[in-house]
Amino acid sequence: MRRLHALRPVEIDERGLELVSFCGHCGQRPDPLIASPSSRVCGHCALGLVLEAGAELAPRPEEPFLIVDTSLSICAMSVAAEALFAIDETDAVNQHIAEFLVPADANAPSAENLLALLVDVAAGCGEPCTTVVRPRQEFGVRFSARIGPCGSPRAALLVLA
Amino acid sequence: MRTLKTSEAAALLNVSPNTLRAWERRFGYPKPQRSAGRHRLYTHGEVAALRDALQQGLSISSAVSRAREALSTDTHTLVGALGGFELDRADSAMESALALRSVERAVEEVLLPSLDELGERFGTDSAPWAFAARWADGWLRRAQRLSPPPVRRLAILVGDATRSELDPDALAVRAFELFCGRSGARVMALPVAGVSGLSDVVTSFAPDAVVIAGSHLPDDDVALWAYRVRATAGPLPLALFRSSHQSAPVRTTGTRILSAEPFGALRQVLASIDERQSSEVAPLPVSQPEHDRREARR
Repeated sequence: MRRLHALRPVEIDERGLELVSFCGHCGQRPDPLIASPSSRVCGHCALGLVLEAGAELAPRPEEPFLIVDTSLSICAMSVAAEALFAIDETDAVNQHIAEFLVPADANAPSAENLLALLVDVAAGCGEPCTTVVRPRQEFGVRFSARIGPCGSPRAALLVLA
Repeated sequence: MRTLKTSEAAALLNVSPNTLRAWERRFGYPKPQRSAGRHRLYTHGEVAALRDALQQGLSISSAVSRAREALSTDTHTLVGALGGFELDRADSAMESALALRSVERAVEEVLLPSLDELGERFGTDSAPWAFAARWADGWLRRAQRLSPPPVRRLAILVGDATRSELDPDALAVRAFELFCGRSGARVMALPVAGVSGLSDVVTSFAPDAVVIAGSHLPDDDVALWAYRVRATAGPLPLALFRSSHQSAPVRTTGTRILSAEPFGALRQVLASIDERQSSEVAPLPVSQPEHDRREARR
């Protein structure tokens, strides 16, 4: 009986992968005890909306992450990313992703690859993947970035690790 | 315009009142007005625009940005209407703005920015500017006529130092007069260029504060007018609104430089009147021996 009690419903995406919810600002998983079931606003920080992404892609609370749409504009920035880029989310929103991150993968032929990848993912036709990026005009710093779809509405999630 | 209390706005957005106040601090939106009892009052239009934007948003910042954009369509509409010389459409744009905002905010967020944009686009010596400025002047005067009668025992005298209604500062001065009237104060605007018979008017009006608005007239004219007013009404708080000395950092004459925003300027004037009234302490009664000593000295 105790084992059955531990069962929980798992949401899956169209590829059959498990989806988890997280706050688009603090990155915390929503707590059903404090979150209103019909509200998309995070019950922990009240400054982000609850989004969904694949379990392997979804950020942990301490990981900086960005969310971009098909126009490659920043739609959300985590509190850890605010500290990393030294900018408030309110100022970062609607700026182009290239203002913040550029590819740092020596094997990548050009910056367009990262942008094309993000557009594809945000449009729902790209697969989750990992790449290497660096902050714009910063050298000697590289981040491994997990990129994949999130929503809703559909967008690309870029988690820096 | 429909307004909501904090609890009602929070319920519409499905968040707690604390969350709403946290958004106001972080995002500056929704921006409430204050009731007479200093309680927050949210405009329904702002809250509804945010609710719609949150449903489609990826973050609260982007939803706020989208909600602000939705509200700014009134400005675009008004600029388009006045740029196309369509008076009916301009009136409708202001009606739409008033459905979502108070008169003060509709003027400061829609009417004045639209006129600024038209002034920049065509120049303030152009026919399109004259068309738009006359319409805006007429709208503001109409709104002033429709304001409720004065309820406060406050009187604000405005010395109008603008050129004419085509002066870019004139609309802000008209807006300031409108807001004074809507705050319940009596307001009278007199041209700074005319000093003849001024003392009779000032004596009759008995102002609590004097605001010199605009920057068209030379300093000597302004100084003469202010001198005549003070000679009649005594040492009243004197303030400059939209003056060419707006950037002067320090004034040693006690003249206050007001905010360039009409509503901010009104708040400053009301605060200075309150300060003055609270600092006016009744003189202590003089004792009989002291009175006799004074009489003997005379």
